[in-house]
Amino acid sequence: MSVPMSSNGLEAVYLANRDKLVRFLAARGAGDAAEDLVNDLWLKISTSSSSGPIANPLSYLFRAADTLMIDRYRAKRQGEKREQDWYELRGSGEASSEPVGERVIGAQQEVAKVAAVLARLGARREAIFRRARIDGVSQRQIAAELGVSLSTVEADLRIATRALIELKDELQ
Amino acid sequence: MTGRQVDEQALEWAIRAADPLFDDWDGLTGWLEADPGNHDRYDDALAAMAEARDRVAAMPVQTAPVAANDERPVRHGFWRWGGSATAAMLVAVVGVSVWSERSQPYAVETAPGEQRTVQLADGSEVVLAGGSRVTLDRADARVASVERGEMLFRVRHDAAHPFRVTAGDTQMVDLGTVFDVTRDPGRVRIAVAEGAVMVAPDGAKLRLDPGQAVVASGGELRRQSATDVGGWREGRLTFDNAPLSDVARDLTRELGRTVRADPALADRPFSGTIDIRSLRNDPARLGRLLGVSVRIDGEAWVLGDDR
Repeated sequence: MSVPMSSNGLEAVYLANRDKLVRFLAARGAGDAAEDLVNDLWLKISTSSSSGPIANPLSYLFRAADTLMIDRYRAKRQGEKREQDWYELRGSGEASSEPVGERVIGAQQEVAKVAAVLARLGARREAIFRRARIDGVSQRQIAAELGVSLSTVEADLRIATRALIELKDELQ
Repeated sequence: MTGRQVDEQALEWAIRAADPLFDDWDGLTGWLEADPGNHDRYDDALAAMAEARDRVAAMPVQTAPVAANDERPVRHGFWRWGGSATAAMLVAVVGVSVWSERSQPYAVETAPGEQRTVQLADGSEVVLAGGSRVTLDRADARVASVERGEMLFRVRHDAAHPFRVTAGDTQMVDLGTVFDVTRDPGRVRIAVAEGAVMVAPDGAKLRLDPGQAVVASGGELRRQSATDVGGWREGRLTFDNAPLSDVARDLTRELGRTVRADPALADRPFSGTIDIRSLRNDPARLGRLLGVSVRIDGEAWVLGDDR
């Protein structure tokens, strides 16, 4: 399925679809910076020393663009969080041992709640979630592995994801 | 984190786009363009999904339809949000993300009570304690990601290519080394037996020498002393003022049986060495050792108050 791809081949795909990538990045939140970002992105991809087969070059480029935006979002959020932590630390005066103990109990409660949600979802949905999200296996392959239809995998994945996300609201 | 509700449509797209075979990028672009708020909704959905993934990854595999102790290929591709993405690291993170599409990750997993040694192509080895999981890369023997549990790294030092280990948000590089990494939900502990390790090489640059340990939890690093690093390989667990909840968790890993501490006792400190083999089928002995009573609850041992 995957075809060995020379860097020239990838470059041809990049050049032919550059406008689409810019449009995607702009819509993805980069706005006016999309032009610059797509150049940076291509520079990183084209100078990356490792090479290997790329199954779908266009999807590979979009995926890289999407990941770039995910990283930017994360960096921004972590910066905000650091700032907030810093203010909290300053506000409380000192880091007492009590919050640490509370955190330990909090973590135990979280584990128990996750376990409860997984138990409620059942073995198949848990297995599908793990295969898809943790092992990164495609839904099509999971369907084949479990001998169920693709739409079953899609539905199970949606239900499991939703339940685990709602758990977060409950924890806070 | 933001308190915002995850948008249904955004989540739908996030789940679809996370599939390695997803190729409807035009469709995704169209949806993003349809409303200027959609890209924020999509980012929030992705972040919520990553958190859900981390939460499940930290849990032991209950159903195990794919057997533990089974080397099976995994593809993380772009969907791992590992590493600490400080602003300074952003460039490196992008580079690694692109590169990892071409990497060949695989996971090695142990069942509770089991141990397993993995030889790496560079001559290094990783010894996994029970109930543990590590992701390695066939394309690069010098990286490892501790997914859960405890493992001892015996790293062949190469100053030109440091061995990099990631455990959640915590990163470390070897400086010629035998060291132990434990990852539990919300907490990573690194202890050095020989050589040295640098924790957070892109940030705090904390150096650990033999006998030293550090616990990373809630975004902070706390130093500890380390005794008997890797003693679990010989069936010894050594604790220095560890809360009983930690003792119970380590026992669960090594005994292959659930041990849990009564919540009232979870914070009681314990110092000492436990010989696992001598108490495998002897809960009363464990009780005497820890100064608690041990109640049998189905398959589990529950540590309770002595009286």
